[in-house]
Amino acid sequence: MLPEFYQFRQPTKVIYGEGLTSDFTHELGEFKADKYFMISDHVINDLGLLDPIKEGMEEGGVAVTGLFLDVPQDASIEAVEAISKQATESGAEGLIAVGGGSVIDAAKAANFTFSHGGDFIEDYSGAGTLTEPLKPFVVIPTTAGTGSESTLAAIIYDVENKTKLAFSDSYLLPDLAVLDPLMTKSLPPLMTAATGMDALTHAVESYVGIDTSPHSEAFAVAAIELIFKNLVKSVENGDDLEARGAMLIASNLAGTSFSHSMVGIIHGMAHPTGALFRVPHGVANTIFLPHGMEYNFEECKEKFAKLAYFMGEDVSGLSIDDAARKAIDAVKKLNEQLNNACGIPIRLRDAGVTEDRLMEIAEGAVEDGTSIYNPKEVEAEEVIIHVKNAY
Amino acid sequence: MGVFESSEKFEEVLAGFFRLMADTPQIADKLLASKLIIRFNYTDPDLSIVVDCSGDKIDVRPHDMDTKEIVDMKMSADIAHKFWFGKVNLTMALTRRQMIAKGPVPKILKLLPAIKPSYAMYPKYLDENGYGQYNIH
Repeated sequence: MLPEFYQFRQPTKVIYGEGLTSDFTHELGEFKADKYFMISDHVINDLGLLDPIKEGMEEGGVAVTGLFLDVPQDASIEAVEAISKQATESGAEGLIAVGGGSVIDAAKAANFTFSHGGDFIEDYSGAGTLTEPLKPFVVIPTTAGTGSESTLAAIIYDVENKTKLAFSDSYLLPDLAVLDPLMTKSLPPLMTAATGMDALTHAVESYVGIDTSPHSEAFAVAAIELIFKNLVKSVENGDDLEARGAMLIASNLAGTSFSHSMVGIIHGMAHPTGALFRVPHGVANTIFLPHGMEYNFEECKEKFAKLAYFMGEDVSGLSIDDAARKAIDAVKKLNEQLNNACGIPIRLRDAGVTEDRLMEIAEGAVEDGTSIYNPKEVEAEEVIIHVKNAY
Repeated sequence: MGVFESSEKFEEVLAGFFRLMADTPQIADKLLASKLIIRFNYTDPDLSIVVDCSGDKIDVRPHDMDTKEIVDMKMSADIAHKFWFGKVNLTMALTRRQMIAKGPVPKILKLLPAIKPSYAMYPKYLDENGYGQYNIH
């Protein structure tokens, strides 16, 4: 059944190619900017990933006016304000972010005040607060990933109040996303697995969420198929550029999908787990994905049955229930393969979660903003069963 | 011209409904737990209402421009009217810019399950209080 209404908007130009990050000034020529301020972090800089980008830009006549490397693990208000200030003072006309989700979100958010001045929190915190476009913004992701190069939101951590602030606006979408597998080649196996499973969770949750649409479903299944064919390969052999490239593309597709259709119970459980126990987001999603699918089984089994095919399972002749079970089994099998390959935890107890606080995770899932998008009502009395199973 | 012919009539209808919700424990309890102060700024016709959930009881204050709100929501009166029938998807409305929200949007989204009963209450409220002409059947 078609939704009564939906919209799909993805203005970000995406380019893909091995080595492209050394040579994308042709695409930059489309934007009204010859000077870019670069945002990244110390790890990426120390790996030498920024030098070929800067050299390529400068050879193409585009200046890099400055560099900000102090983005913390969770993008903070302080980092955002510093980026905006330094970019302005450097005379930049655009921003370029090279990094994972935190770097991208910090740069995305900095573009508010870099472009239009004002007070970052007072004027822009919320949804749809912009009335005109921002300055040119280019993203080169180094994980695969959050898909932040294709989403219209930025999450910024308010250190003082210990809370996360959400900013969303279609004008926040980057103008250009450059996907180059050379940028993810040095990502360690555990991070490759965790970020890849984050992308898979985005795709699965977006596919079954209440705000899904034919457009977001198409992006989701394309992502899921690529992930199941390439995630284990990229964990086992980081130099496999074909697998790395496929995961970058999958992450981008999944990001586009969930940017339109949101996520649900799996992220709902992952968020409090991260808040209470500092379990990395991708690890939490890895653990909870099969259990969240179990939670939603009755409401989503027709969709899971379709997903099983894209997960590489043979579902010919199977009933809906059996085919749907194959999807959950495929996820469990993937988790085991990843656990064998890199030791990523696939049980909460192995990720540092203690049994005495499982109910807090279940209650946190009910309170989480994602619960409204889940296809089944999120109730703590039932969530706890699956959290315990995940333990 | 929109559904409501004047700011006065719109205030009468909407503030009355907000006060009904404030007196409905099934909804009010969860709103009070949020401690939110929301200023709704409507256009066509123009009206501003503060719904203050920060105290022991929900206080509905039209024309209050002094209280410092936590969340500021802007929308047309017609969108607000449709919303209380359950006919507007909040996330879609935000992306389409039919609603603009300043402040911690996730806190508003978390309240959506709590206000769901109001979607059945609103048409009943309109009929029972002499506002049947505004009902969407």
